[in-house]
Amino acid sequence: MKSLIRFLSSVKLAIFLIIIITAASMIGTFIPQLRSAEEYGALYGQLSELLIRLEITDLYHSWWFIALLFLFSLNIVICTLTRLAAKFRRAFKPNLEFENQTLLAAKIQDRFSRKGNLEKSEGELKKGLRSAHYKIKETRKEAEVHLLARKKILGIFGSDIVHLGLLVILIGGIISGFSGFRTNINISEGEIVPVLGADFKLQLDKFETEYHPNGSVKDWKSTLTVMEDDNPRLTKTIEVNHPLTYKGYVFYQSSYGWDWQNPTLEIWAIKTSDPSSQKNAFVRLGEKVIWDEENLEFKALQFLPDFIIDGNQPRTRSLNPNNPAVFIEVYRGEDKISSGWIFAKFPDFSQMHSEEEADYKFEFKDIQTSQYSGIQMAKDPGVNYIWVGCTLLMIGLFLAFYWPPRDIRLILMEKEGKTEIISAGRSAKSKLALESEFKRIMVSFRRSQ
Amino acid sequence: MNESTLFLITFAVYFIAAFFYFVFLFSKKESAAKTGLSVVTVGFFVHTLALIWRTIESGHAPFTNMYESLSFLAWSGALAYIIIEYKYNIRKAGPYLMLIIIGIMALASSPLMPDEAAPLMPALQSYWLWLHVSVTLLGEAFFAVAFVTSIMYLVADSREKKGVAKEGAITAEKLDSISYRCVAVGFPLFTLGGLVFGMVWAYKAWGSYWSWDPKETWSLITWFVFALYLHTRIVMGWKGRRSALIAIIGFLAALFTYFGVNYLLAGLHSYA
Repeated sequence: MKSLIRFLSSVKLAIFLIIIITAASMIGTFIPQLRSAEEYGALYGQLSELLIRLEITDLYHSWWFIALLFLFSLNIVICTLTRLAAKFRRAFKPNLEFENQTLLAAKIQDRFSRKGNLEKSEGELKKGLRSAHYKIKETRKEAEVHLLARKKILGIFGSDIVHLGLLVILIGGIISGFSGFRTNINISEGEIVPVLGADFKLQLDKFETEYHPNGSVKDWKSTLTVMEDDNPRLTKTIEVNHPLTYKGYVFYQSSYGWDWQNPTLEIWAIKTSDPSSQKNAFVRLGEKVIWDEENLEFKALQFLPDFIIDGNQPRTRSLNPNNPAVFIEVYRGEDKISSGWIFAKFPDFSQMHSEEEADYKFEFKDIQTSQYSGIQMAKDPGVNYIWVGCTLLMIGLFLAFYWPPRDIRLILMEKEGKTEIISAGRSAKSKLALESEFKRIMVSFRRSQ
Repeated sequence: MNESTLFLITFAVYFIAAFFYFVFLFSKKESAAKTGLSVVTVGFFVHTLALIWRTIESGHAPFTNMYESLSFLAWSGALAYIIIEYKYNIRKAGPYLMLIIIGIMALASSPLMPDEAAPLMPALQSYWLWLHVSVTLLGEAFFAVAFVTSIMYLVADSREKKGVAKEGAITAEKLDSISYRCVAVGFPLFTLGGLVFGMVWAYKAWGSYWSWDPKETWSLITWFVFALYLHTRIVMGWKGRRSALIAIIGFLAALFTYFGVNYLLAGLHSYA
């Protein structure tokens, strides 16, 4: 048990773990994560099976990486705890038993006599030290007074607070990993959707896209209302970087798109020999339009936002309206006389197949549809731990680097009506600054006699 | 007069400063180094004006694409160098640091770097852009100074061991302690800007404070390398050669986080 603790508390283990975790993290950035087995096969051939078996394909969530992090946390805890007892003693029950020789052997030290009895010297010395913000502990025996003047003592706990912060962050990460969830929903204006695991629903009142003058997207804004038992509770307009938070759930603006299920299509039918004879129609898919003057009927059957021919089959390349196309059929009475694709962006390039000589053409003018808003719903109970951990981390770093503890040990002895003073300064992290401060205090003390 | 003119003037002034530093390096005339420092300081002020100009012109923080962030990195490097030079008198590092700064400026002005002040995409419209990027790059600038002084340490150390160290040359011991001080300034800044502010912003913008995105992972790697530097030094008493090597690796990791990830690995941080 003892040797186990010694092993877990060693800095060498910490360094070993840091190196291993760093190396593993690097591997995870070079080998693409969370792809399909086929992709790995194509990339790494024979090796891919091994990579998948060792979970290198989802490295940061693999059992061995988490085990490493766990061991690392344990190492941090035990390292910190084993050093803490001694630090507490140093901070709160410092040793006031020091010898003349120890002080005189220090790098920063001073020895001199001054007029006046011990009491007077002690009083003035304390005043000088206190005005330099030192806190003083003292002990007396016979004709000797020992003083320990210290400042910025909290600095010795800097690294411990950093470690505590790291632990809190790791704990927060574990909580996020186990009980946090995240999901994307697409929601159209007016729609109400339930929120997974929550007792409220979410309604999208309004969605709009703002553009820069050059046409690029400036922002997406969704006005959301939280509905509880059909009563609106809270309305807020969210945009990228400004989410809505309610009962531990956070709703982010993450994407947007168009609802192509039920668009309104603007189709113009034009008589070729007399373009003044037109029928402009706004239709939904499947709706029949009657063009009385020409004794024709037509309807739109299929719509594709980003038309492409893929192996003789038309399909859509994406959900963006890059090349909107609609398939229409034309009837005279019961007979289908023509059908084919027409394109909004290429009005002259229609693919109509006619049974008879056609004196009409169709143009696809416009599409109207609602945009939906892509919203990420997240609940992450670990996140508060993260912020607490980060705060501790920064406080600890500040203390460790910019709050260097210093102390001055002094022995005062009364000898033949004079006071002899031996003093020594000590600071692991700010020797130079302490040295000049030490000199200043001692010089002004000597002058004051 | 516009921002790119100011940028060019800055570039030229840094060149002149480097020239003076090299005169100092070869002639050993202290006065040349002093002139160099004043010239860098002038360059720094012109550079500051250029950055302010850019901010006003574009209406957003001056580090939203590669050109801008490189220019800002050079600015941070000049600032870090001026601070360290005034505080510790490391004139010998001047020529090398000026070369790095000029290199960054040259990279920024290369035609490969997109430099048009494009309107910001939605995810970047946040004051966290300022906090996250500026504090991170400032921290990295101090790592850059530590990188240079560490390399100088390695040279000075091998010279001293061979007994060919020049009279009045800066001692290896001093270089070692300056490297440490730079890391001691850079590390908290990098932690705050790169990791803490990064996590806060990621949480606000992407809904997740940590996603193991390559840039996130590489800044963690950089952080780990410098944590290693501090632990081996403070707890195990490593100094000198080994410390210098870790500081060099740490800065290279920071560089990879900055450039390599953008060009070699894909991820959420696809803007800059």
